Amino acid sequence: MSSKLLVVGVGGQGVLTIGRVLGDAATRAGIPVAVGQLHGMSQRGGSVQATVTMGDGASAFIGAGEADVVLGLEPLEVSRARPSMSARTQVLMSRGRVVPHTLAQRGEAYPDLETLREGVRAITEHLLELDGPATAKRAGDARALNTVMLGALAGRDVLPLGAEEIWAALERRCAPRTLDFNRRAFELGREAVSP
Amino acid sequence: MHPLLIDIAGHTECLLGNEAIVRGALESGVGFACGYPGTPSSEITDGFAQVAVARDIAFEYSVNEKIALEMAFAASLGGARSICAMKHLGLMVAGDPLSTIPYIGVRAGLVIVSAGDPSCHTSPNEQDQRHLGPMLHIPTLDPSTPQEAYELTRIAFDLSERSRLPVLLRATTRVCHTRAPVTYGTLRAPEVRGFERDPRQLVPIPPNARRMRAEIGPRLETARATTEALFTRRGRGPDVVLTAGSPAATTAEILSELPDGVVLATMPGVFPLPRGPLLDLLGATERVLVLEELSPFVEDAVLALCAEARLTPRVLGKRSGHLPTAFEYTPDIIRHGLHDALDLGATPQVPRPIEPVPPRPPVLCAGCPHRASFFAARAAFGEDRLYFNDIGCYTLGVDGPLGVGDALLCMGAGFTLAAGVSRVTGERTVGFLGDSTFFHSGMPALLDAIKQDANMVAVVLDNEVTAMTGFQESPLVEVSAGQPSRRVSIEGVVRALGATHVSTVDPADLGATIAAFERARDASGLAVVVAEHPCPVYARRIATDRVESPVFEVVTELCATCGRDELRCGQCTTHGQERAMSLARLRDPRDEAPQAVAPCATRCPLTLCVQGYASHIAAGQYQDAFELILSRTPLPHTVCRVCHRPCESACVLDAAVATNDLKRFVMDWATETGASWTPPRAKPNGRRIAVVGAGPAGLAAAHDLVLRGYGVTLFDAADAPGGLLRTGIPGFRLPPDALDRDIEGVLSLGVEFVGGMKLGTGLSLERLEASYDAVFLGLGASRPRRLDLEPATGGPQVAFALDYLAADTQAERVVVVGGGNAGIDAARTAMRRGARSVIVVFPESLATMPALADEVASAEAEGVELRAGLRPRTLAGHGAPGLVCEGDNETTILAAELVVIAIGQVPDLTPLRALESTADRLLRVDPDSRRTSSPTVFAGGDLVGGPRTVTDAISDGQRAAWGIDAALRGREIADQRPPPRHTEIPPGPSPRSPSRALSEAEAQTEAARCLVCGRCGNCRACLDLFGCPAFFLDPTGAIRIDAELCDGCAQCADLCPNGAIRAIGGGA
Repeated sequence: MSSKLLVVGVGGQGVLTIGRVLGDAATRAGIPVAVGQLHGMSQRGGSVQATVTMGDGASAFIGAGEADVVLGLEPLEVSRARPSMSARTQVLMSRGRVVPHTLAQRGEAYPDLETLREGVRAITEHLLELDGPATAKRAGDARALNTVMLGALAGRDVLPLGAEEIWAALERRCAPRTLDFNRRAFELGREAVSP
Repeated sequence: MHPLLIDIAGHTECLLGNEAIVRGALESGVGFACGYPGTPSSEITDGFAQVAVARDIAFEYSVNEKIALEMAFAASLGGARSICAMKHLGLMVAGDPLSTIPYIGVRAGLVIVSAGDPSCHTSPNEQDQRHLGPMLHIPTLDPSTPQEAYELTRIAFDLSERSRLPVLLRATTRVCHTRAPVTYGTLRAPEVRGFERDPRQLVPIPPNARRMRAEIGPRLETARATTEALFTRRGRGPDVVLTAGSPAATTAEILSELPDGVVLATMPGVFPLPRGPLLDLLGATERVLVLEELSPFVEDAVLALCAEARLTPRVLGKRSGHLPTAFEYTPDIIRHGLHDALDLGATPQVPRPIEPVPPRPPVLCAGCPHRASFFAARAAFGEDRLYFNDIGCYTLGVDGPLGVGDALLCMGAGFTLAAGVSRVTGERTVGFLGDSTFFHSGMPALLDAIKQDANMVAVVLDNEVTAMTGFQESPLVEVSAGQPSRRVSIEGVVRALGATHVSTVDPADLGATIAAFERARDASGLAVVVAEHPCPVYARRIATDRVESPVFEVVTELCATCGRDELRCGQCTTHGQERAMSLARLRDPRDEAPQAVAPCATRCPLTLCVQGYASHIAAGQYQDAFELILSRTPLPHTVCRVCHRPCESACVLDAAVATNDLKRFVMDWATETGASWTPPRAKPNGRRIAVVGAGPAGLAAAHDLVLRGYGVTLFDAADAPGGLLRTGIPGFRLPPDALDRDIEGVLSLGVEFVGGMKLGTGLSLERLEASYDAVFLGLGASRPRRLDLEPATGGPQVAFALDYLAADTQAERVVVVGGGNAGIDAARTAMRRGARSVIVVFPESLATMPALADEVASAEAEGVELRAGLRPRTLAGHGAPGLVCEGDNETTILAAELVVIAIGQVPDLTPLRALESTADRLLRVDPDSRRTSSPTVFAGGDLVGGPRTVTDAISDGQRAAWGIDAALRGREIADQRPPPRHTEIPPGPSPRSPSRALSEAEAQTEAARCLVCGRCGNCRACLDLFGCPAFFLDPTGAIRIDAELCDGCAQCADLCPNGAIRAIGGGA
């Protein structure tokens, strides 16, 4: 049996890094893993997703309704990921919004957050959210959003990986000067979702 | 330590498929690596770039894939194991060397990695490179996981050396971009055996080539042993699932969830066909489902093998209709295939439909210099130009507001398409491509265009790096992959190729870039513009210090708002004017922010937005300009000919923008094209208004009152409406058909006209007040101001100007008294009636005379003589008819048979005795509402202001319509505030030439001269023209900038017509 995690967000938020860290952590733990990543044409700004499959099977694909966990760095992207969700899917969402550029050109504002929440809750009741950007800033750097979300993921204990294993993999990827705020961001992310 | 360099056998690292290929090569002792980046292959070259120095490997980012393959082949001949990597399209670029290398054969192992992109995630097509195997005699391997990619790379080198053939390692996006554990062997140092001379084997001239061709077959048979050894099968059951490539991993995962009962076979070596194991498999089964992406490559080979060996299993797959022949195989597609073909697994669930989520497509980053280049190009080359784009980040310019993508083909074709389309259509086209693309294949494209002096502008978008694929170094750097590299100048190359019109600009300077594009546009033959600005994302990435740049914010009080928002003037209802406004600001960058309302507009009696219609005209939006003018101008055909243009006296340009000419151009355009438009109209409110006097004030009041929902009866003493417009302005200034069009425009709204009714005779104010909800008086000044001249026997005939204009009196010599417009009109009319001499006398100086300067100039040009500083005294007679005038020091007698008195008109207040009047014998009215001393009687025009201009009279009518509406409906009306009072400028000297008809080109040029001094109340320039992703609309609809996304490039601040964007924080 495998465990499938879908990470969604916007280019530049660090979605692919999350996939990479989890792949490293699982590999160190001897867990079979496949991390898939689809990046669009641009360096920034488009929808980005990474898939992480742990356990048997080596396919990084996540089919319809197959995600056990959706880690969302942006609410609209969580909403976009609904086809991968089912009633058992655990959704962890940062509520910091990144407004798609197409909306302004169409003269529209960002959809109401509550409407987005309801769309997810119609599929799964396991929706947990946190204010990722504020938590990252509290940790010392707005760029640490992905670390906050990794911390939150570790805090929910929904993967066959311990928090320290995830942190160790992340630590290996951190430049020394970013270590402090990343550690704080990881811990604050964990605390934010603790029951 | 770099994870690819860990040299511990048995170590497991989570690697990207592309990195696994690099590791496989490092363990194979590769000595030369190269390639050209292209998603999804780029991390292969990048991986080598990171470890080349450490592993003593020769590496280069080649300028294109053909060069890459030739370099790798040469390295193989030089005795070094070599590898080159590219995406599927790149292998087509390398097709020429690729097709001959198998003939010549390789020395040290040569592996060609070609990354395919099923589903076109980041490519213009998907293609099945496996066909190149049989087509060109190249052994082909097709991994399904990173571990397999690693293993197959190692095998490929051995296979290549054993068969002396190049080996194609074909991977796809799902393998290249999947991370999974890879278990290492040990690294092997590169070795270079050196070049061995053997022309018979290395020079494929025809006799040699024929011999080489014959030798290929046996070499391929050598290779077959490898593909057969790679073949695997597991599981038991009556049915077989045969997979190849990426779907193998997904299929294995799905089958692992199902009960046993099927044989799963995989063939990582797809060419030469592993005949032995396939025959074994096919001979022992009744059904086989072939699961492979894209074309039925394996499936057809299996069908052929069955036919050849007379085996009869049912071969299912694409040919049987169970699986699609396009796009990636997702788990859902594979589940369907397994279920439908072999009854394996449950019926896959159909994904639940969800309501659509706003799309978030990739976009040029905030601060991207390409956006600036495209903005400038659209500004200079216009909307109708054909733009051809190319492959790179800038491909993203095809969408949205930038919209530069009339066609797109492949690397380098941005220039070729522009040249080719231009060649057959004759149009001057624009082609774009980036720096890396320029070196890749843009140089020959440009050379071809130079050779034929193509009628095009070639733009190189140079951001100094191959950004789209992850910032690979182009030939513009001095150090590449840790090794020295010679920096190449694009402009130097362009000039060396022979281009003559060449310029290099920094797109961050939008004004200069627009100017450079305009020069290129106006040049003849091929022009080249190099737009050079480093990619800011890359610049930040390689910066040693963190760069603090300011971010920008929108000042809401200045954004899309002008000083007239509360007026609800209804002029700005459409968009598209922003480009001209933005351009005006970029062409004339002033420090001060635009004013709330431009000075010209503050002086317009009609509150017309001059910069608005000018910008629409400059943008070629004549209907929009037409509607804007009509929204504030009840008599547009008249106004565009006779307005005294106080706006022009406020113009900051030395030669004011010719506002009447522009309006006239639009009105002529509307007449020619039959364009029509009615301003927004309120519902009828049941109230009725009497308008007395069908001159400009009355017509304007009637027009506005009908639009405000009132029923209007328009009375006039004459039989036809028009008043002074008909009787007081000669036809050469206001042609009757133009006036008639205006009057028809008012009457067609539903105004009832009653002619032949004069106040005081058939009509009384009391009766009107009793029968109507309100009355507007626009009676004009019907009595000529008198000049008492002693009659003289045998002296000249004397006439008042209006009578003279209305009659057909002719005379040899005419003297006109009065230097106003009426005097000049009379003088010009006299010339037209054949007078031999026409003299205008007036007490003012030439500079202070009240007539419009351009009318005066026209009169002089027609032969009218002007005598300033003269006051008429008496008539002269006794056979020498004339007018005796007195100057400061002398008395002059001007000979004349006719003296025309044109010193103005005064109102006849006799029928209006009930209303209060002023000492000047004018009606006393409220300045805002034009209400008289009676609460339901309003007045305007010459009746309240003495001799005034046509436009002022129209303004009075509009103002009174507001006054009546405010008085009768009070708080119900939308515009609670009175129309703003304009700064009244008496008609006076104006340097403009008379109103004239402009051609379309002249009108656009004239309109584009407007500097747009005021803010625009309906501006969306940043969203509609620029499309930076940092902009968003907040829930109130206000335009905002996301500080997290803002790059601080300042381009939006430069182009904002309202000056509403300013820097905050950082180093601003």
